[in-house]
Amino acid sequence: MPAEEMGKLTNRTRLIFAVSSVVFLAVLAISPFKDFRREWKQYKRSYLRFAQSRPDTKKLLADYRPDIDQIWLPGMNVVDRCTTCHQGITQASLADKAVPQPFRAHPLIPHNVRDWGCTVCHRGQGPATEVAEAHESTLAWEQPILPIRYIQASCGTCHYDDLPQTPQLTRGRDLLAELNCQGCHRLPGIERPAMLGPDLTNVGVKVSREWIYKWLKEPRTIVDKDGNVTVNGYETEEEPRMPKFPLTETELRGLSGYLSVQKAKAVAPNKIDARVVTAWSRNPELISQGELRFRQMFCSTCHSLAVTRAGETKLIGGDIGPELTKVGSKVNPDWLIAWLRNPQGYLPHTRMPRYGWSDEDLYKVTQYITTKLTDSDLLTSVPQLGQPTEQEIQLGHRLFLEKGCASCHSIDGLNPQKDFGPDLSTIAGKNASDLEFGAAKVPHNLVAYIQAKLQDPTSVNPAARMPQYNWNQSDLDAITTALLSMKGPPATSASQNLVVPRKEVAFHPTGSFGEVYERYKCYTCHKFDGYGGDLAPDLTFEGSRAQRQWLVDFLKNPQTLRPTLILRMPQFNMSDRDAATLADYMTMVLQHPAANPTAVDAKQFTPAMVALGKQLYEVKYQCQSCHTIGGTGGYVGPNLSNAGGWLTPAWIEAWLRNPQALVSDTIEPRRNFTEDEVRALTAYLRTLRQSIKPQKTASTTAKHAATQGAGR
Amino acid sequence: MKFHVWIGVLLLMTLAGAAGCRKRGETAKADPLLAAYDTEVDWTDAQHVIPLSYQQAQGKRIFYQQCVWCHADATPAGPSNRSNLTPVPPLLNDGATLNAESDEYIQNIITLGGTAMGKSAMMPPYGRMLSTEEIRSVIAFTRAIAQPPYQLPARAGSQYSGK
Repeated sequence: MPAEEMGKLTNRTRLIFAVSSVVFLAVLAISPFKDFRREWKQYKRSYLRFAQSRPDTKKLLADYRPDIDQIWLPGMNVVDRCTTCHQGITQASLADKAVPQPFRAHPLIPHNVRDWGCTVCHRGQGPATEVAEAHESTLAWEQPILPIRYIQASCGTCHYDDLPQTPQLTRGRDLLAELNCQGCHRLPGIERPAMLGPDLTNVGVKVSREWIYKWLKEPRTIVDKDGNVTVNGYETEEEPRMPKFPLTETELRGLSGYLSVQKAKAVAPNKIDARVVTAWSRNPELISQGELRFRQMFCSTCHSLAVTRAGETKLIGGDIGPELTKVGSKVNPDWLIAWLRNPQGYLPHTRMPRYGWSDEDLYKVTQYITTKLTDSDLLTSVPQLGQPTEQEIQLGHRLFLEKGCASCHSIDGLNPQKDFGPDLSTIAGKNASDLEFGAAKVPHNLVAYIQAKLQDPTSVNPAARMPQYNWNQSDLDAITTALLSMKGPPATSASQNLVVPRKEVAFHPTGSFGEVYERYKCYTCHKFDGYGGDLAPDLTFEGSRAQRQWLVDFLKNPQTLRPTLILRMPQFNMSDRDAATLADYMTMVLQHPAANPTAVDAKQFTPAMVALGKQLYEVKYQCQSCHTIGGTGGYVGPNLSNAGGWLTPAWIEAWLRNPQALVSDTIEPRRNFTEDEVRALTAYLRTLRQSIKPQKTASTTAKHAATQGAGR
Repeated sequence: MKFHVWIGVLLLMTLAGAAGCRKRGETAKADPLLAAYDTEVDWTDAQHVIPLSYQQAQGKRIFYQQCVWCHADATPAGPSNRSNLTPVPPLLNDGATLNAESDEYIQNIITLGGTAMGKSAMMPPYGRMLSTEEIRSVIAFTRAIAQPPYQLPARAGSQYSGK
């Protein structure tokens, strides 16, 4: 290259160099500007201005730093920079709704934000410093913030036991258990019941092929004339537990054919003398007497019936057993008699108690059920099916396994497929990219996925085997919450220590008490030492509470203690021996140390104490606002008209001192009685006696049944 | 030549500037019910659903256990005991009566009972049964469902007064 040309080139290079230097400088100048304009720095500055406008500026800025704030909890894998922008989170004076976000204080909760961080409960991305990245799912960050509506799910990631503070989570877990989701899915922490769905080994002797066809096609039996399921629309408990499976006509024929030939054991003969039956059947009152007996025995405590009043159809009764509105058109009458005599003979794990029926009662009640609880139109939409062909039975057998029926229903000799549905034990930890949304038009996040799948399983996967359930919004949210709590085992050993396990409780007494307890299924409604249902009073310390003679009388003929309840203790037609066994066991074993019946000497109660007690009851403490004596008083607490014949003095004293010590969740307020007042009130209550009233009439029972509700 | 250079520089700077200010993601309008721990349907208007915070939700739970029997017209068990009582206890959402009472007063009457505050002895004391936090949560729930709505009292020089 010649020298003069080199000089020329140098000039041009200089120019290029000069221009690029200017550009470079300009770009460098932008960089600090960009840094100054960072999102979190803007929030920092705006908090500073905000704090200066408040009267307690000094307090608000006590730990203010212009840098990124961070909560670092190495044990729990928490690096949360949320407090960089959410700066007022621990400032009590910023709790008001008028305080703009992100500066508002965190609402009062049992955990301290500084000790727990934010993402443990709220999820989202702790280390992110931009609004969108911290809160939403982006390409780089997949865990979005959990909407507060489902926040109880986060409580459930550590608290495997049920917390009173998280009703939605508890409801969701109960739904997962009630609807037998664990029949197909692995759901840790959800207890698998003794019986998922009824055993179908013998179903052919109970129902017809046509009924099975109808049930498989549409399990909900109560649909109004427009086809709307208004009755079952609200409470999911009132839905049959059997969901709706998408089945074709051929599949319906196959399954109904296969099931209708499941007749392993014929129905036992009913052993009622035919001549006696003829005499009873001439009785014109037979059906209404059967109905009266049905009501008196309080079948409605567990079973509901549809009742139409003023054009509105409602299910009235309990939800422990199936609803019975049309059961007369469903079951074989001979099967019904055999079932009522001994339910465990047909289904060993059923919760239905074994009643001590007289032949006459049994006949009347079954006559009522088979003539009144019917619907002649129930099976009109079902085609004539006749005897199933061999192919249909073969097809049904195959479908029974393929469709997952065998996951909930057992048939002797059939082994269900293991892990039929997906394992849901870590569903809450799934990233959006792991989920198959199909053609569903929903936001691509986990909450939307779960809800779409629950509402219509085919919306995200047209080939889904999961059946169709009918949810109302609150149940849908509850079950979503429960599923969102399933994050799997804690990631770190420190968070492992935080897990509150579920308490395993059981009460399975043996001996003659155990036999009677099991026959009447006392634990379905009552609690014993934390085990059992919560429909009826806790009987853990019943032996301290009630006098033996009262227990015997009550078991033989249950009276109403709490007048507002419509779900009552059924009449079991208990033998004297059974009642004595139960009463003896309770008085001897179910005792509270603080209420020892033999420790109180009845002679200490003087008439003067009785008079003082009456005065205290009526004037000073006005107990009549909640309790009834005779015809007057409130009906929040139990009726005390027969307190002297019912309660032991030791229990009354201990109860007045501290009711929650005896029954932890009682609503009786714990008061500050002096010892003299305790004794005076006990003396007065001891004097209250009332002989047991005759049975309630059918009309008042019906009136009570009209007001839906449950309680104690 | 010079003109072109300046155009180039300006263009580069605009580009660099544009890269600096990324469009801020539009935050979706928050649904107040999606941001609520729990909700309660307004007792006077079934269409109006009131969002509740954690504390208010705990108050709701305690209310439906302990207080509902006398301070509401419908209870989980059906009929209410309210009509049975004289003087008739106020409904919990009765803003016209309760908004005028201070938090301290309501806390005292729940803790100590009606007699201690010169009211009906039918209101029992709950101080030995409920914790202070639980009683505060019931008050928070009362304030949340009050009709007409409860307003925080404006106190001179208070931390709530703003300027």
